[in-house]
Amino acid sequence: MQSLISGILIGGVYALIGIGLTMIFGVMRVINFAHGELLMVGMYVTYYLFTLAHVDPFLSIFVVGPVLFLFGALLQKVFINRVLNALPQNQILLTIGLGLIMSNSIMLAFTSDYKILTTKYSSSSVTWGGISISSPLVISFAITCAITAALYWFLLKTDTGQAIRATAQDREAARLMGINVRWMSILAFGLGSALAGTAGALISPTYYIFPQVGSVFTLKAFVITVLGGMGSVIGATLGGVLIGIAESVGGVYFGSGWKEVVVFVLFLLVLLFKPSGLLGKSRT
Amino acid sequence: MKYVRVAFITLLAGVLVVLPLYVESTYALHMMILIFINVLVGSSWNILGGYTGQYSVGHAAYFGIGAYTTMILMQFKQVAPWWGVWAGCGMALAIAIVIGWICFRLRGPYFVLASIAVAEIFRVSALNVKNLTNGAEGILVTEVPPLKFGGTVITDWSTKVPFYYTGLAFVFVIIVVSALVYRSKLGYYFQAIREDQDAAHSLGINPTLYKNTALAISAVFTSLAGSLYGVYVGFIDPSTVLQLDLSVQIVMICIIGGIGTIAGPVVGAALLVPLSEALRSNAITDALIKAGVVNAESKVGAFLKENLAHAHVLIYGILVVIVILFMPEGVIGFFRKGIGRRWQRS
Repeated sequence: MQSLISGILIGGVYALIGIGLTMIFGVMRVINFAHGELLMVGMYVTYYLFTLAHVDPFLSIFVVGPVLFLFGALLQKVFINRVLNALPQNQILLTIGLGLIMSNSIMLAFTSDYKILTTKYSSSSVTWGGISISSPLVISFAITCAITAALYWFLLKTDTGQAIRATAQDREAARLMGINVRWMSILAFGLGSALAGTAGALISPTYYIFPQVGSVFTLKAFVITVLGGMGSVIGATLGGVLIGIAESVGGVYFGSGWKEVVVFVLFLLVLLFKPSGLLGKSRT
Repeated sequence: MKYVRVAFITLLAGVLVVLPLYVESTYALHMMILIFINVLVGSSWNILGGYTGQYSVGHAAYFGIGAYTTMILMQFKQVAPWWGVWAGCGMALAIAIVIGWICFRLRGPYFVLASIAVAEIFRVSALNVKNLTNGAEGILVTEVPPLKFGGTVITDWSTKVPFYYTGLAFVFVIIVVSALVYRSKLGYYFQAIREDQDAAHSLGINPTLYKNTALAISAVFTSLAGSLYGVYVGFIDPSTVLQLDLSVQIVMICIIGGIGTIAGPVVGAALLVPLSEALRSNAITDALIKAGVVNAESKVGAFLKENLAHAHVLIYGILVVIVILFMPEGVIGFFRKGIGRRWQRS
């Protein structure tokens, strides 16, 4: 039970990572292999805000979000935009390259030492009905829920949100309807990066911070989005929570070393038997 | 043009064969062996990724399987590496068939993701099956048994020269195999699948069968490279031979050199290995300091000396971005186009 609950709580953050990736994929059909690296950049921004300016990691999302949004928008405008019509393999390699540049630049600037962000409440926990859960996880889950809700509202109710969804559905038709598709792509990549960065900020009190941390999360982000169905925001939310549970329950049953194998096997099974994902539309 | 090319290749091969007789620097030989290993993995990947168009970003799995099989047999079962290598190849072949059977149901980006997942499963497993692989500690081999032939010792592997010739022989084999496959019916089937799988299928080419064939060839030679690496370096652990970074580097060798061409991986390896080794060994920083560009005592000099060595992967990132954006056919394609344009003009 304990592992189930903490799985759901971690799953909230995973959902955030997955939603970012799925949005980028939905609008541009580009699989962003630098997603984990964006998250890592978010972690570093949070870490330095905390150590230099004493900004609480959970408050720093208000800085990390916009910073990563601009960074992502810039990446899209300068690099990704040029390969939108290239082979998907080349797009993948370009984002891998960008990810390598990010992680290695961070390594150059801040060395490859593991950093730990310790707050007053890092090791405190909430006990509720006999189940104790670390409080940073609870706070980050609450924030994730709020962000996800806000994002749903943005995508469903605002004009810009609808324009993004229209671009994702059919790029050409959206262009014909007078939607500025280029701008929507920049917006989507920016938002996706901001979400990854925010997720990074939220997990920084509970994770080691080091330049290579990104690749772990890039892989997780794929698993989550494929599980939920590429391009589906609701699917990514569900996928995130499912992966959180699978990891934490798998860790209990098979030992923590094997929990990643559980996730990847799950991933392969989904790819094989329902490659469109749990909520994705099957392609004919 | 054709005679020029043949003459050039013969000359290059000749120089490579006699090189260890004249070059005594162990560092130069070390660099050459690394280049050979990279040519070997790059060319093997190229058969699957370049010819057949299946971008596997999980080739570290086969590299690691080869390295681990050979090293485990050598260290714990006293099987000499030149036998163990073939066991590694067999292992890689068997696993490739299983993986291919699973992953080739998927196409494009989904195949890429599946190949990564498979490689990660192997990495995590190698970390966890400690009684076989020593887990994160890795396997350290202290002594390679001497190679004997009918009582006479051919080599005791104490210098780099035997490794150099082994690597060169492997490179020769993979290039011959690449060329043969490229010009054979098999190669045409591969390329047909790359260009349009559905059209190839409707012409009676069984895509699954030929993708698996490409993967099998590719996996066997990748595992050979892994074994050579393991025995040469004498130490392997999951984070060097099974890491995602390695898979990415294998792909980059081909992308940067020129994907789907025989010479592409050779050019890619010959460019990337010295560059990243120069960064790793601080040669670039030393050169900058010697040239007086950077003062060794200054803050910048100290910073470069301290950190540039860790960032040799950075160069891969920058190069791949440049190549994808500005020369999507790789260095070879870029120059070939340049030459073609000049010929047209004159």
